[in-house]
Amino acid sequence: MANTPIMTVADLHKTYGKPGTKQYEALKGIDFEVNAGEFVGIMGASGSGKTTLLNMLATLDQPTSGEVTINQQPITHLKGNQLADFRAKEIGFIFQDFNLLETMTAFENIALPLTLQNVAAKKIKPAVEMVASQLGISQFLNNYPNELSGGQKQRVAAARALINEPAMLFGDEPTGALDSKSARELLDLFTTINREQAVSILLVTHDPFSASYCQRILFIKDGKIGQELHRGDRSRTDFYQQILDTLGTFEQ
Amino acid sequence: MLTKLAMTGFKNRWRDYLVLFSGLIMSSAIFYMFEALATNKQFLSSNSGISLAGQIFQFGSVLLTIITLVYISYANSFLLSMRKRDYGLFMLVGARKSKIGQLIWLETLLVGITATIVGIALGTILTVGVSKLLVSSLGLTLHHFAAWYTPAASTTLLLYVGLFLLAGFFNLIALTKTPALKLLHSNDQPNRPRLKPFRQLVEVIIGLISIAIGYWAMSDLKNLQMAGIGIALVTIVIGTYLLFNAIFVWLVVLLKQFNFAHRGLNGFTLSQLSFRIRNYTKILSIVAMLFALALGAITVGMGFHRQVPLMANSSNAYDMGIVNATTAQKKQIAKLNPTNQANYHFKVGKKVVYYRASEFNQHPFTTMDQKSKNQIDSVAKQNNAKQLAKSMTSYQLSQLQASANQNMSQVFLSDAAYAKITSKQSTLTIFATKDVAKHMNALKHLAASQQRRDKGLTESMLGGRYGNYIIVNGMYSGLEFMGFFLGVAFLAMLASCLMFKILSGAAADRNRYKMLNKIGTRQSQLRAAIRKEIAVLFILPGIVGVIHVLFGLKMFTFIMVGSPYTGIWLPFLIFAALYVIYYLITVSIYRRIVLE
Ligand SMILES: Nc1ncnc2c1ncn2[C@@H]1O[C@H](COP(=O)(O)OP(=O)(O)OP(=O)(O)O)[C@@H](O)[C@H]1O
Ligand SMILES: [Mg+2]
Repeated sequence: MANTPIMTVADLHKTYGKPGTKQYEALKGIDFEVNAGEFVGIMGASGSGKTTLLNMLATLDQPTSGEVTINQQPITHLKGNQLADFRAKEIGFIFQDFNLLETMTAFENIALPLTLQNVAAKKIKPAVEMVASQLGISQFLNNYPNELSGGQKQRVAAARALINEPAMLFGDEPTGALDSKSARELLDLFTTINREQAVSILLVTHDPFSASYCQRILFIKDGKIGQELHRGDRSRTDFYQQILDTLGTFEQ
Repeated sequence: MLTKLAMTGFKNRWRDYLVLFSGLIMSSAIFYMFEALATNKQFLSSNSGISLAGQIFQFGSVLLTIITLVYISYANSFLLSMRKRDYGLFMLVGARKSKIGQLIWLETLLVGITATIVGIALGTILTVGVSKLLVSSLGLTLHHFAAWYTPAASTTLLLYVGLFLLAGFFNLIALTKTPALKLLHSNDQPNRPRLKPFRQLVEVIIGLISIAIGYWAMSDLKNLQMAGIGIALVTIVIGTYLLFNAIFVWLVVLLKQFNFAHRGLNGFTLSQLSFRIRNYTKILSIVAMLFALALGAITVGMGFHRQVPLMANSSNAYDMGIVNATTAQKKQIAKLNPTNQANYHFKVGKKVVYYRASEFNQHPFTTMDQKSKNQIDSVAKQNNAKQLAKSMTSYQLSQLQASANQNMSQVFLSDAAYAKITSKQSTLTIFATKDVAKHMNALKHLAASQQRRDKGLTESMLGGRYGNYIIVNGMYSGLEFMGFFLGVAFLAMLASCLMFKILSGAAADRNRYKMLNKIGTRQSQLRAAIRKEIAVLFILPGIVGVIHVLFGLKMFTFIMVGSPYTGIWLPFLIFAALYVIYYLITVSIYRRIVLE
């Protein structure tokens, strides 16, 4: 189980700008795999291509060349309804800005992926209540987003991403807008979800502390994977120290 | 430097500007179109035949000005919402406020004046087009109608420039008094929709009472006169507003209980609506009112036109009378399949026409008599010679006579007395067809041939149903045209108002739809959600407007023959078609803004 890849990325390139105009190659051939149940981090300096990579992986943008497979399904050429259904069923996102719909309550926000699939109303309620209790937001279900703190909002977003039991959970700087306490709580949650429900997680961050929660870290530099760190059996503090050291040398 | 920045902002948002421009152009075009009619006194007086038309148009003009005011304030807030971020940025990079102030003035006025001038040009073209269309499709006749009318153009320009000066001033205050950071993050946070049972109950009750008073005032116009219209307008506006305000939030909460709210994006749409509706109650009530006025104008206009055959039919029981018909004319008459026909012999004396009483006793002459005093409805009555001699409506016989005999009184003689009269005997042939309007062309032919033989017989002297039809049609054509024009102008204005209001919320929705797309919503679902949300915002005032019209038509029962409700489906259908077109346009623009 630990060695079956849930996601494979092969020779991924992304060039911004149309041919003939000023072009910029943001990704210059990325190859890696994520195993089922793995918690992987992607780090790199600002402008190194992290968000670009994540957008390709999460089907939000199309690569110039290369292939991405999630759950044995090639995704780079998905279009229209197939693409929408894939997003709805196989992946979950959490972004830096919470991306909740402020016109709906927390409950309605979390339930949205299920209602989109026309799941029966009586199945929705228990499902929402279950994720909510796992993420510790049961008491906020009837609140609107503007009545919640940043950390609470991010947990609602996480609940929405998880309710469909996705194969992969993507996060782009999910702790970016949180204070350190809320960030720590959210990361603890990710760890728990990752362990207990075997959800594979891919986390983009430039914060070494967040990265230290991962089992493996890929460093991107100038559109390529420059280095890889494995946590192994080490404690988080040791791993944190190693990340700091690596960053020191890597980003020269 | 700043001007350059402003220009880039302009370039980036050309599509939004396009929406703004086309909206403003439409609005000023409609305003011009309306003024071109309303201020053209010659046109009004020569076409309506009713002194009320001038008043109706002045009233309409005032209403339209008020709507324009509302409209421009929406358009302006659309402009403002577009530019807020840019100006906030300028301030952050240290632009002086006076400089920014200049830019705002410049931009607002430039947008306003260009749009108005283009609008007046378009309005002139539209006026030609619309009037041609109406005239040809309704079979109307118009006199002194001019598409270009200088006073109307200057009124339009003055009003719009004045309003934009005001808007520029308002923008200046709004933008320079707000701190730069707030401008940057002015994405308004919606508030939780609150249920306040007591207050909303009171609102519902007062709203219902107001509307009831309004309906009563309209139905009792006979006694209340013009005051009734005033009372109705005020109370119905207040009532509509209160009802929208109170009921809508409840409705959404109620709807959310049902299963369908948990399917697809229905829940999302309901939430959007419940958040929006607070901002929308004002415009929805205005739109409902305008809707009622516009639809009412068209319905009444068409109603009046429908009066034409009715009035013609109640003026005489016969289509036409022909003296000494030729064989050709007799053939023509036979072709019309007359339902009622009679030949009376007569001899002309000094100031009197002598008929044979026996002929009238054999073939009674039908008159149209008033049902009762002060009523337009009439009943047909058969008259023998004795009855006709005493009848108040015997003039209906002389109307059918040759031109020279129309002012003579008629005497019915016994056959013996008649034989003693020495002058030449003639024959009057009178006939009625089933439907004057249907046989218009054939009747016109017949009338023309008779006019050639009897030079004194002018069109207005033709007397029977046909002649009356011609007269009344001329009079009511103008009314119908005005009703249509008024209706179309109001509709265009109200729908554009609603469109703007909806579109100015589109920017805030862009992120929501983006997010829905990211979590795996199908495009078809997103499109359906947009369609539904906008449909509700269009349908609500539509329904209320229709109800208002149905009650409002009661006002006209006492000045119309028959019921003002007959044939009501036609104006409703036309109106619905126009309204649907506006809806589709709004949806497509909204979609383009939101689903890019
Ligand atoms: N839409 C685009 N068009 C052109 N260039 C782009 C576009 N999006 C990103 N880039 C360029 O691609 C490179 C990588 O950008 P990306 O957003 O992936 O960086 P990042 O690693 O996420 O940075 P950060 O840590 O600041 O978020 C940058 O140099 C950026 O300028
Ligand atoms: Mg990034």
